[in-house]
Amino acid sequence: MKKRVYIVLIVLTALIPLGLLTNAPAWGEWGKEYYKNSLGFIPKGIESTKELNSPIKDYTIASLGDISSYYLSAIIGIIMIFIIFYILTKVFNAKNS
Amino acid sequence: MHIPDGYLSPTVVIATYAVALPLWVYGFKKLKSSLNEETLPLIGVLSAMSFIIMMLNIPIPGGTSGHAVGAVLIAILFNPWIAYISISIVLLIQAIIFGDGGISTFATNSLTMGFVGAFVGYYVFEALKKYKFAPYLAGWSGIVASSLLVAILLGIEPIFWTKNGMPLYFPFGLKTTIPALVGAHMLFFGVVEAIFTGLIYNYVKNKNLEFIK
Repeated sequence: MKKRVYIVLIVLTALIPLGLLTNAPAWGEWGKEYYKNSLGFIPKGIESTKELNSPIKDYTIASLGDISSYYLSAIIGIIMIFIIFYILTKVFNAKNS
Repeated sequence: MHIPDGYLSPTVVIATYAVALPLWVYGFKKLKSSLNEETLPLIGVLSAMSFIIMMLNIPIPGGTSGHAVGAVLIAILFNPWIAYISISIVLLIQAIIFGDGGISTFATNSLTMGFVGAFVGYYVFEALKKYKFAPYLAGWSGIVASSLLVAILLGIEPIFWTKNGMPLYFPFGLKTTIPALVGAHMLFFGVVEAIFTGLIYNYVKNKNLEFIK
């Protein structure tokens, strides 16, 4: 059972460059320029929002190519998820015992 | 479906946090009772799968793209509460590290893609369990339900929050958001979610799984 889910995760991760085949944004997740172009103005709440300073904004690492950035982002994400669940397991079990 | 910061009025932001918070508390209690050294790899790997599947953007006609979520798979293999917490953790990482989604909208996104997707998918699956197509239809229903809630939360913005007739936050109303979001999820991303959920469910399912419920 566990072995099988690992296989699925590895296969999906290997396919990650497929996610780069399109540059099209998700519906409703446009940048500010989109509103400027389509409406002629940017709604105030959207305009005044400061973008968060994310360390790996848009899954892009400046010094790397698109595909390597995307792969590395995927791996960083997976590792972070496991670290969080690992810590939670330790914390929960420490409290339980 | 990741609503960015600035798209929702403070009222909706506060309301969604008020709803999401007690559900997180309850979900964490559920997670606490089922997370141990044996279940950790499975919960971790299913959450990681959700993170990866959300990176696989699929272009659709009309110049936009989207992706599956993976909440229903966790809900039917494990438990919908665990799915809600797992998706919330994935969304938090996406928002903070990758600038995908937002902090003010973190509760909204957790409720739509996590809670609603997981529970709708779970109950559809439970109702139709004896049929082979159950996990497929569960995946489709879950993500379509998520997209409906996203469409409503975005679409009410220009109805209630305007100044001098100008929308202050998300500018397009329900007549635009519902066909665009729900339609795209019914026709495209829901189908991907259905295939993802159904294939992987059938590939990994195991009768011994009952112990983790």
